[in-house]
Amino acid sequence: MKDIARQGMSIKVESMDLLNSQIKMEAHASATYLAMASWCDQNGFFTSAKFFRKQSEEEREHMMKIFDFLIDAGGSPFSPEVTGINHDYASIVDVFESTLDHEIAVTKSIHNIVMKAREVGDIATERFLDWFVMEQVEEENTIRDILDMISVTGTEGVGLQVIDDHVGNWMD
Amino acid sequence: MNTIYRTTYYTLYQATSDRCFYIDFGQKVVRISFCQLLAIRHKVLSISIEDHFDSEMNKHGLEVLQLCNKKHLFVLNTLEILDLKELMEQGFLHMGLSATPGVLSA
Ligand SMILES: [Fe+2]
Ligand SMILES: [Fe+2]
Repeated sequence: MKDIARQGMSIKVESMDLLNSQIKMEAHASATYLAMASWCDQNGFFTSAKFFRKQSEEEREHMMKIFDFLIDAGGSPFSPEVTGINHDYASIVDVFESTLDHEIAVTKSIHNIVMKAREVGDIATERFLDWFVMEQVEEENTIRDILDMISVTGTEGVGLQVIDDHVGNWMD
Repeated sequence: MNTIYRTTYYTLYQATSDRCFYIDFGQKVVRISFCQLLAIRHKVLSISIEDHFDSEMNKHGLEVLQLCNKKHLFVLNTLEILDLKELMEQGFLHMGLSATPGVLSA
């Protein structure tokens, strides 16, 4: 029996489902960073606002990378519904701490897909995710460095303005 | 046509010469492409069966299912939906595209 289904798709459906969830997660990250850009701008952190605007664009690129992979693999990518975006932050420190939490959640999710792909013998998906695994190491490191810089600078006096200026060092 | 999987109410076939699939829904047989099959799987596995036992969420325990870009319309009850879910899970398992009868993650 000729295998039409296998001719139609190069990856496992389990991977496809998880990658579709990841599309949603990247879209959620993109929208969250855009909300942070808005918060930063309204609270006078103009460099941080630019930083988050750029992060937001990068998250959308991640989403499209997965979208394109699913297309290439003969799968069916779904355009995600994005809801529940938080716009309230207590401080600039709160913004960056939330960012780190968000990135850690994304890392866990990527690792989970890698493990699942390995379990079902989906080598193409596992290899595809290599880039994301390394990207997450970099993203977590960036935010950790910014949080370190914040604790060294301190938030007293002109601290907040110095913090905002320094965030520029992490923009490409 | 080769039978891929048969449940109580439905049968999934592969038609090698046409490079397509057929689902026998009982009332009618529907011709579907592989992409449409993926879309049906997504729709069917996304249905929350728990809602069928909650009169607030799903009063009559029925699902209206639009398939193949609105070409077909089915009204299915709880048992039929469960059966269709089984057809999708086992069908993809038998086609070698699934390793475990998995639940679609949100
Ligand atoms: Fe990302
Ligand atoms: Fe990220």
